[in-house]
Amino acid sequence: MKILEVSNLTMRFGGLTAVDSLNLSIEQGEILALIGPNGAGKSTAFNCIAGVYAPTDGKIEFNGEVINRKKPWDLCKMGLARTFQIVKPFASKSVLYNVMVGAFATTDKKDEAEERALAVLKTLHFEHRKDSRSGNLTIADRKRLEIARALATRPRLLLLDEVMAGLRPSEVDEMVEVIQLLRSTGVTIFVIEHIMRAIMALSDRIVVIQFGKKIAEGTPKEIASNENVIKAYLGDEYGAA
Amino acid sequence: MTGKDAVREPLKSEVNRMDNIDDSEALRNRIRKVSLLLIAVVAFGLPLVMRSPTYLHIVILIYFYAYLTTSWNMVGGFAGVLPLGHAVFIGAGAYTSTVLFLQYGISPWIGMLIGGLIATLIGLLIGLPTFKMRGAYFALATIAFAEGVRVMVENIEFLGPFQLNGPRGLQIPPLDIGFANFMFANKEPYYYIILIMLILVIGLTWFISQSKLGYYLNAGGEEPEAAMALGVNVSRAKLIAMAMSSFLTALAGTFYAQFSMFIHPKSIISLDLSFEIAFIALIGGRGSIAGPILGALLLRPVSDFSRIYFGDVFPGLHLVIFGVVLILVMIYQPRGIQEPLTRIYDRIVDRLVEKYRKGVA
Repeated sequence: MKILEVSNLTMRFGGLTAVDSLNLSIEQGEILALIGPNGAGKSTAFNCIAGVYAPTDGKIEFNGEVINRKKPWDLCKMGLARTFQIVKPFASKSVLYNVMVGAFATTDKKDEAEERALAVLKTLHFEHRKDSRSGNLTIADRKRLEIARALATRPRLLLLDEVMAGLRPSEVDEMVEVIQLLRSTGVTIFVIEHIMRAIMALSDRIVVIQFGKKIAEGTPKEIASNENVIKAYLGDEYGAA
Repeated sequence: MTGKDAVREPLKSEVNRMDNIDDSEALRNRIRKVSLLLIAVVAFGLPLVMRSPTYLHIVILIYFYAYLTTSWNMVGGFAGVLPLGHAVFIGAGAYTSTVLFLQYGISPWIGMLIGGLIATLIGLLIGLPTFKMRGAYFALATIAFAEGVRVMVENIEFLGPFQLNGPRGLQIPPLDIGFANFMFANKEPYYYIILIMLILVIGLTWFISQSKLGYYLNAGGEEPEAAMALGVNVSRAKLIAMAMSSFLTALAGTFYAQFSMFIHPKSIISLDLSFEIAFIALIGGRGSIAGPILGALLLRPVSDFSRIYFGDVFPGLHLVIFGVVLILVMIYQPRGIQEPLTRIYDRIVDRLVEKYRKGVA
């Protein structure tokens, strides 16, 4: 069953077409990666799906329901959660407080929210930091906090926007483990990522975009040997080789 | 030591440590309860000791400002915006109850609630278009609205059937003294009324800060985009806070009208009043529960005494002092004076707990 289906998604900012008739779909339980050079329109596509921008054209379906004009908070309650590329913790508050804000999406009671938040922190092996002020966390922990908050909203589809950028290799490995763990709990995952090692290890399928258009789609293996992709990343001369 | 003991011993000490944590936590709670009780006893007993009406008047105004600032804090503190026109709600409350009382003989207690509802409507009216603005723009919009209302009231003799008297304001003749008319011959009843109002509004603030709404307001105030992605309808949360804040602020307006028996636009819809509330909050500590109270305790006496002693030679001196204090606080304690004071309190409690433990051992 398709959990997300994007057809002909187009987003224009004035004269700039950031996303140009993009088509993609995600199966329930899958990990799909969206990659592309800087400025390819990955984050814009994410923002359209997450309800931050209303797309200029096209259709986005989540669980068979068109969600083009839905607001981020409504989407969150429908089970679509996201993280931000530039992390946005509620800096003056503790980690637990941050995660509880997410947990309140599906409950009104404070005790219940706290219980769920603690459970999420435990799953992510993040419990020991629960009382830390989130503004004082390392970048790796902040990224983990982004995931924890999103997870606390009990999503069915999780959009991860570059959760590994800026991490050390060992931290990347940890993050890959975390994401695999999430998938095993039944969450469908859609990632934007630049770190190829992680992408190759994680994803079931990869969609590559450049200048807002899809240039390739396939399994990690297919993508790694795709001529268009090599050209997009390394330049025209390499494509022939 | 056998291998089994090597495992068991650290475990035992761990368990002991946990017990101690529970113990000291309970102790801390007890200390907190006792100090709150002490404050309550002092607050309720004060009029029995302090017989001077002048001083009582000053204390009543401290409570009045603490109440106003706590109400303001729901929007200005938790929701992370800076409303600078709260005097308009005080005006709405004061004028509504006073007009209803003078012209229709309706008890100010009822007028108080009606004024609150009218203020809520005004609050929503201001909030709907302005909560999309950020930072200074929101502050400016609220100033503009409040000033606009003041100028209007100053120029309106009759609003439909209601007599507002323009710049001359309204005077409540002290004829039918009694609880039903919210009018008393001495200061003590006013003292207890505003004290109880203050306690209730602090309780409400505490309750909100512990609820979903409190979490949502804080989250939306700090990082609106992240909050929205986590399911928070930020503008709705802010509107709810604004509605409550304007309702509660209006109640204080009625209190002030009944307390001073005379209201006019310059006294209750003035920018000075709006600013003073914000000053108290910023200096005391925005977004904290103790901040508005500490701020009022510190700044109100400054304001009153500078008026008493320098009123004729240097009017407005208190605003100069506020400005200097605000600059100093913003430089050295950007989270207000509640932060160092809370730290001191914690340290004292720590020492007490330590002493108690040593005493037990």
